[in-house]
Amino acid sequence: MNESSNNLIILDNVSRFYGEVLGINRVTLSLKPGITSLVGPNGAGKTTLMNLITGLIRPSRGRISVLGVSPSEPQKLFRLVGYATQFDSFPKGLSGYQFIYSFLKLSGYKPSKCKEMTLSVIEQVGLSDVAQRKVAAYSKGMRQRIRLAQAIAHDPRVIVLDEPLNGLDPLVRAETIALFRRYADEGRHVIISSHVMHEVDMISDEVVFISGGYVIAEGQIQNVRNEIKQERPLQMLVRCKKPAALASRAFEQDNVVEARILTEGDAVLIKTRDVDQFCKSLNYLAMEGIDIESMAPIDDDANSVYEYLIGDEEASK
Amino acid sequence: MAIAKQTYRQYNSTLTPARMRFAIFSRFYYAPLFQSKFIVLFLAACLFYPIGCAAYIYITNNSMLIMALSLRPDFVPAIDGSFFYSYSIVQGTMALLLTTLIGPNLIAPDLANGALSLYLSRPVSRTQYILGKMIVLLSLESLITWVPGVLLFVIKAEVTGFEWARNNAWLVGATVIGLSIWIIMLSLIALTLSALVKWRIAAGALILGIFFVGAGFGNAINSILHTNYGSLINLSEVIRIIWAYLYRHGYMDTNLTTFQACSVLFIVCILCLIMLAKRVRAFEVVK
Amino acid sequence: MNGIWLLQILAVVRLEIKKTFLSRRSLWVYLLAFAPVIIFFVRSINEPRQRDRLAEIAAKHPVSTQALNSIKEETTYEQVVEKLGEPYLKNFRTGRRGPGPEHEFGFVRYTDGETDVVLHFFDKKVVRISKSQVDNLPRSQTVFATSFQFYFLRLAVFFGCVGVFVNLFRGEMLDKSLHFYLLTPMRREVLLAGKYLAGLLATVFIFTSSTALQWWAMLRQFDQSVLADFFAGDGGSQFWTYLGVTSLACIAYGSIFLTVGLIFRNPIIPAAVVLLWEGINPFLPAALKKISVIYYLQSICPVVASKESNLPALVKFLISPTQLVTPLFAVICIIIVTLIMLVLAGYFARRMEINYSID
Repeated sequence: MNESSNNLIILDNVSRFYGEVLGINRVTLSLKPGITSLVGPNGAGKTTLMNLITGLIRPSRGRISVLGVSPSEPQKLFRLVGYATQFDSFPKGLSGYQFIYSFLKLSGYKPSKCKEMTLSVIEQVGLSDVAQRKVAAYSKGMRQRIRLAQAIAHDPRVIVLDEPLNGLDPLVRAETIALFRRYADEGRHVIISSHVMHEVDMISDEVVFISGGYVIAEGQIQNVRNEIKQERPLQMLVRCKKPAALASRAFEQDNVVEARILTEGDAVLIKTRDVDQFCKSLNYLAMEGIDIESMAPIDDDANSVYEYLIGDEEASK
Repeated sequence: MAIAKQTYRQYNSTLTPARMRFAIFSRFYYAPLFQSKFIVLFLAACLFYPIGCAAYIYITNNSMLIMALSLRPDFVPAIDGSFFYSYSIVQGTMALLLTTLIGPNLIAPDLANGALSLYLSRPVSRTQYILGKMIVLLSLESLITWVPGVLLFVIKAEVTGFEWARNNAWLVGATVIGLSIWIIMLSLIALTLSALVKWRIAAGALILGIFFVGAGFGNAINSILHTNYGSLINLSEVIRIIWAYLYRHGYMDTNLTTFQACSVLFIVCILCLIMLAKRVRAFEVVK
Repeated sequence: MNGIWLLQILAVVRLEIKKTFLSRRSLWVYLLAFAPVIIFFVRSINEPRQRDRLAEIAAKHPVSTQALNSIKEETTYEQVVEKLGEPYLKNFRTGRRGPGPEHEFGFVRYTDGETDVVLHFFDKKVVRISKSQVDNLPRSQTVFATSFQFYFLRLAVFFGCVGVFVNLFRGEMLDKSLHFYLLTPMRREVLLAGKYLAGLLATVFIFTSSTALQWWAMLRQFDQSVLADFFAGDGGSQFWTYLGVTSLACIAYGSIFLTVGLIFRNPIIPAAVVLLWEGINPFLPAALKKISVIYYLQSICPVVASKESNLPALVKFLISPTQLVTPLFAVICIIIVTLIMLVLAGYFARRMEINYSID
């Protein structure tokens, strides 16, 4: 294992079947530090992928390496990895503090260190006031946060979080996203699964689109969007005083495949296969006297990419 | 004011009559039950003894076969109360094992997964719910206890003649009543334990425990304290006293009376019903 | 590395022990374990009174021991009265046993001051003779040995271990909380060792306490001088042997049910099979007898279980007539069985996956 692979999470042709049911199939990924979002519909295989990375289940085929460590070696893996699962259940009778403390003790830390780490992480997730209350009495959001605390308590290099923002109120959501960003900026891996596309857009460095157990696309959103521009030309909304003139001139460009004048407001919807080229040409048009008020891409976000990549597939089922 | 177009249409076809709605719970349970190969095999195994009994009745009433097998006709045990008493012991034990396999899955998963409140928020009562679940046990237990017992009687009557059937008609009543009492009690105990403990595994262990530990502990009390009252917690022995009475089996190896045995069963059933009424509710108090 | 393992095992034990010792769920284990203590305690109160009562009756209705022993089944009531005189207690009733004809049944009681004999009659003939002898130390030891082998080991310790050890993994699977353990930097074998130790500590503590209390309850009725003689002899070693057998039963059954809980989704079926196997042990051929835990536990027990005639038929049937092995060999066999089970459990623990939806 070389040095670069020791900083990557590698899935090499990994498949997992539950009897005859497909979990994931032939997944090959190489995840770099930063925030990676796993995106896909329900039952796509996101949780299976996370469980495989953390060794809670074993692959039927293929090989997994987390920073050079195999998931079949929990004693090494969980020094590096923290995982907040989706299971909303906890060991019975423990308070939030006891829960974190006990499982830090299982990691082999000394009591004083456990106490220090527990208090610190509980403060980070904003549960200091209710730390002595039984977890069973926590609200859904609190339970979500205590799970997050358990995942990050031992300061891991890889943090795997299954839908970590579910049930959090907007303020805590923002704080949690900021925490993920900080971890990513420190060079850690933060792998999250989410259904909330605008959050995926906002926080992800890279996105892995999964559907039906297959990885459909991976990488930065912009790059993924560019990859599919031939089948799905990028849409730009241009507002100007002379939409008809703009549409006519834009259509002369090779990269423009469609120019539609919108009936409401002075705007033209342009579909282009080459955004850079189109933007350059727009400068010339402005100089020619077409007064352009604004210009914005409308389908280069995660939501649109999801729609294009997975929406079609789902619809065709 | 905007007027929305009314597109909603309520279901207005026929509904299952309220009195038959309990059967829905049974139907829901039968399908996955018979998908289990183990249960099907076990049910088949439960019929081995009745089939053996049927073969025995056939052989003992076939004089040519008796001669061919060189059996002395007077040496062959008769088909009488003692025969059906033994039959009840064997099939009663099989019914207990079947209850241990099936019973824990009846209410415990509904409690553990919060399905009970969903069921009871529909137009079904708690009684219907319990009855529906109980029907599952009663039907399967009947299938391996009194139904084959009555069939054995019919076979014997068929090969022996009307006179025998008329003189021994009480055996049918004894079989139906005796085994029905047993399976009703088994079902009530299984349902109660399934409702008391959310874990089906723990419920299964408790059913086994009540009968085996009860028997062992009862014997320990009898042995250590030189008494017979330990047998009151040995439910298998209690039902044997009642069967012995019904089958005119004569002397039993115990000092307990039939009245005491009936009282024990009555108390157990009442306790089960009280606990079921307490546990099977549309809400749950979470502490 | 071994230091970390030890710390981790201790941490698991601390977490698990709370669940077993002081939870409402384990109340029934206490009930199972301590019920015999209550029975022996009642016996210790009852027996001295019975001794005095029988002595008093024997003085009023003298019967010789020889004459008492001459009564056999099928003897008529008239013959009994002719040989023994009028009983000190007589209870006859006429009634139906079922819908058939009426019968006369009941019992009479005689005593020679040492043995209370109950003669059960059915249609004026003796059908059963039950004898209960006045308690003395050797008899108490036999009663204890019988209860210990046929109730305590086979049922109380057995079911207690089913409850505690199956719960360790399968219970957490059902509670959907096992994954928290698997998300810690701990070898699965270390987790297994921690859980097994926690279960073992709990069961050994509960069941050996019960054994010790039963022993105390059994002996409390006897004079100091009798007890002093007993402990000067082999009393002490018997006591420690019983505690040892109880612990070994927890060790062996614990390992079996820990493994069963790891392998089977519904451990009750294999538990019932083990119960049946252990139960039919006395009826098995000699070679098969040896493939059971109870055979080796019985071999270590210091007192042979009773073969008294008034024992329930089932218990009489269960008493093993086979040649037992030496205690040392029995201990070695139990430890080997335990190790095999734990190795098997370790293998399955390593292969264990979290898939709560199938449970």
